[in-house]
Amino acid sequence: MSQIKINGREVPFEPGQTILEAAKAAGITIPTLCHLPQTQASGVCRVCVVEVAGSDRLLPSCETPAAEGMEVKTDSPRVREARKGILEMLLASGQHNCLVMDLPPEKWTSFQIETMSRPWHDQICPAHGDCRLQDLAVEYGVTVAAQEPPSGEFPLDDEHPMIVRDFSRCIQCGRCVAACNEVQVNRAIPAPWGPRKDQDPDQGWYPLVDYDNCTHCGECVQACPVGALFEKKAYGLAYANDVEKVRTTCPYCGVGCQLWLHVKDGKIVKVTGVENGSPNKGRLCVKGRFGYDFIFSDERLTTPLIKQADGSFAEASWDEALDLVANRFMEIKQKHGPDALAGVSCARSINEDSYQMQKLFRAVIGTNNIDHCART
Amino acid sequence: MPDSLMHTWRQPAGGGLAAEALEKAQSQGPVRAVMSSEGVLVLDPAVDPVDLARAYVELARDMSCGQCFPCRLGTQQLAKIMERICAGQGSREDLSRLESLANQISDTARCDIGRTLARPINDILAAHRGLFKQTVDSGRKVEPGSYQSLVTAPCINACPSHVDVPGYLEGIRLGRYDQAMAKVRNDCPMPGTIGRVCVRPCEANCRRNQLDQPLAIRWLKRFLADQEMSGAIAPPEPPAEFKEPKVAVVGAGPAGLSCAYYLGRQGFHTTVFEAQEGPGGMAAYGIPSYRLPREVLAFEAQQVERTGAEIRYGVRVGEDVSLKELGDQGYSAVFIGVGAPEASSMRCEGEDAGYQCFMTGVEFLAQASRGQQPLEGKKMLVIGGGNVAMDCVRTARRLGFDQVNLLYRRTEAEMPADPAEIREAKEEGVHFHYLVAPQKVLAADGKVTGLECLKMELGEPDDSGRRRPVPVQGSEFVLECDAIIPAVGQICVVDCVLPDAGGVTPWKTLVVDQDTFQSDDPTVFGGGDCVTGPATLIGALAAGKKAAGFLATHLQGGECRPGPQHLLESLVQALGVYDPEEAFAYPGLTEKAEPPTLDPEVRVQSFAEVEGGATPPQARVEASRCLRCYRLAVAALDPASPRS
Repeated sequence: MSQIKINGREVPFEPGQTILEAAKAAGITIPTLCHLPQTQASGVCRVCVVEVAGSDRLLPSCETPAAEGMEVKTDSPRVREARKGILEMLLASGQHNCLVMDLPPEKWTSFQIETMSRPWHDQICPAHGDCRLQDLAVEYGVTVAAQEPPSGEFPLDDEHPMIVRDFSRCIQCGRCVAACNEVQVNRAIPAPWGPRKDQDPDQGWYPLVDYDNCTHCGECVQACPVGALFEKKAYGLAYANDVEKVRTTCPYCGVGCQLWLHVKDGKIVKVTGVENGSPNKGRLCVKGRFGYDFIFSDERLTTPLIKQADGSFAEASWDEALDLVANRFMEIKQKHGPDALAGVSCARSINEDSYQMQKLFRAVIGTNNIDHCART
Repeated sequence: MPDSLMHTWRQPAGGGLAAEALEKAQSQGPVRAVMSSEGVLVLDPAVDPVDLARAYVELARDMSCGQCFPCRLGTQQLAKIMERICAGQGSREDLSRLESLANQISDTARCDIGRTLARPINDILAAHRGLFKQTVDSGRKVEPGSYQSLVTAPCINACPSHVDVPGYLEGIRLGRYDQAMAKVRNDCPMPGTIGRVCVRPCEANCRRNQLDQPLAIRWLKRFLADQEMSGAIAPPEPPAEFKEPKVAVVGAGPAGLSCAYYLGRQGFHTTVFEAQEGPGGMAAYGIPSYRLPREVLAFEAQQVERTGAEIRYGVRVGEDVSLKELGDQGYSAVFIGVGAPEASSMRCEGEDAGYQCFMTGVEFLAQASRGQQPLEGKKMLVIGGGNVAMDCVRTARRLGFDQVNLLYRRTEAEMPADPAEIREAKEEGVHFHYLVAPQKVLAADGKVTGLECLKMELGEPDDSGRRRPVPVQGSEFVLECDAIIPAVGQICVVDCVLPDAGGVTPWKTLVVDQDTFQSDDPTVFGGGDCVTGPATLIGALAAGKKAAGFLATHLQGGECRPGPQHLLESLVQALGVYDPEEAFAYPGLTEKAEPPTLDPEVRVQSFAEVEGGATPPQARVEASRCLRCYRLAVAALDPASPRS
């Protein structure tokens, strides 16, 4: 097998693998920011740059194919300095009002006041505690003191009922673009493109959404490594460190998507897909990601109700309710025959439930009148 | 070489700083300073190097494409620092930050907009450190001067029409086909044609040649053209309003259509007079439809019409209507793009005897393109080694000739035809005979029966650098055949259009200013093959485009003179930005995408297009291979004057 040398260690690689992939397989961590697994590397953040002997430039490990005999340094002072330089400019370019924004005291207050005067900025950034930029800024000891402050306005897309697109914190990494176009293939977020002089100065290169194509799946939100895209109804409820994550299976249909419920004080504050979890590999639809409010609805039935002679409903136990239904079914069957009954099951039920339903109607009741709601 | 105050220009392999280029540029206007990815050159002490650096950094900021972080953020930081220094508010820290930031951007940026920043900035800082220090220490305000700027790349520089190749490739990579096509159409009005038959100097100047294999640039342009023809990209819109003067264009070939298209985009109506019954000129009657389907040409002519041109077919300017009459009909100016439509002579006995089954390549292809069967028989001889000869042999195979023979007086190495064409002709069963020259056409009863030939050998190199073929005495031999097609070159016939006027060379080409395309008669412009002699299609499109620019100036009462922007372009063009000797540390490990082609047995059965297009994923993968070797330049070319 072909070998490259990473940090002095011989590491095998398969032809076609990138330096990043070879390093990962060997347990060597190279930091990334714009990299979104399962999509074509965009190679824009340059945080994953490494030193390769023979090259006068640093090379992005996410895009550079490993070649026989290559000697790579992933954590040299030159590499660390380059990463730090990029992160400093990046942090200073947005309204990242969390602890890592170490502005000098004379600028700190005015920055906070200006930032907090914007919509959705009355608290610190919603990504605090779960932010790739924050993690890297801490790791690399980033300081923004020498940086020029950003100029110009940041667009804000507050039109969507479930998602806020706050471009004041957008780092333009392209992960939402890749998530929409390559993972979900909705093609609702066109890649921002072209020289700066050709851009609309009010919009820059921000990844604006074409809502005609949007299915509101929220994949872009999940892909966002910072606090630029966030769930509207989760805003302000909890930071990452306050929640317990509970893994469960989405009940909406039979696919069985794996969910993380972000739970605080016994209540779901947010739902995300389980990355690497089958079958959905992190992907969710609009219902799985955003449709959880009903759990806490006051109007939700919590016990069976039996209709009384006067038309009112009385609370009953499950045994009472099921006995009543079973007896009435048997009465109808005796009086009118099994074909007087028909079963319609839920189309989003899992296979096992659908099987049980037809078994009930064919074997217990004795009729072939069985179908599901998508056909009726 | 003029005396320079500062000179750090990179010495491209095989050249060195082209002193001639610089001297030529200086003869056209003052060249006071140039700062570019390739180095810095200051000739005039009145140029403030601090201001020059500011102009360069601002260009880098404006050209940054926003994809990679170091360039997007770093060029903005650099521009702000330079703005502060020039406002007299800079500090020593700003100078060191300028240097370290430029180095960092070059070390990490994705493409050459960022990667080439450090060199000129370091150069100018090193050469003028005293001035930079004095500027920040004293708080001197730097007066802004006036600069020309240019963005190019090895591929762009090699293209006669300077199509922004990395720009549209990036558009394809990111799925922004409409914007990619808009970039193509800025400089190439016939993307479907060029995307199929261009000689592609861009690919020969692609830096991936040194790394692995060049980009399939032509195929990617064709991909965009396919998207446009299928309706996935909206065709170009006509201008919102048209101006008063109108222009007559003679010839609906590439040069004429290009001129009409770009005049249309600038708001001028044109009438294109075409002698033939359809558009395309030599692209239609010289290129067989298996390489360039007629519907592509028709579509492209339609787009020219949409932008304000009217095409009148079957009108022969010079016979049916004279240039003077066109003037009387209200046309304010004329563009002549009549090509090189006549065949050259072989200087071979019997070629003018009018034998049956003896026909020039130009005529043969023209008849075949009209769906006719120009010649009958089984065994054919074609004489020539260029692309027209290839078109003739391959067309002959499709018209039922079983034994098609190509005769060339040198060897395959000297053949001017595209190697891909030669390969495909061989695949189709064409027999190649090298070092053979025609001597005498043999005929019986007025019909061709054979060709007496002479064997040749290669002698000393001639003016073109190719070894000259020399006859081998006494080596005459006869090749029997049913038909003979000479395809040894084409000539111009501009005198047909301009019977009385001067300005025509002995080769019947039109004399025009090489920069402005204006002839001695200020209302007559010309471009394409009828000026240069037989040349490339992209060259003709470029001539049409550039002439349209100067025509517009002329129509609006301006003087046709190349301006400073033109000067910078020709200077950079002459200096060159491509280094064929460049070495890369590691091979690129990627391969050029190969277009799908029909099997040789299938393709000789019909005139169906041989080469296929790309699918969107194929196009994306191929476009992603682009290294984006942009090169930036700013130059002080005007006489010293404050920036407006």
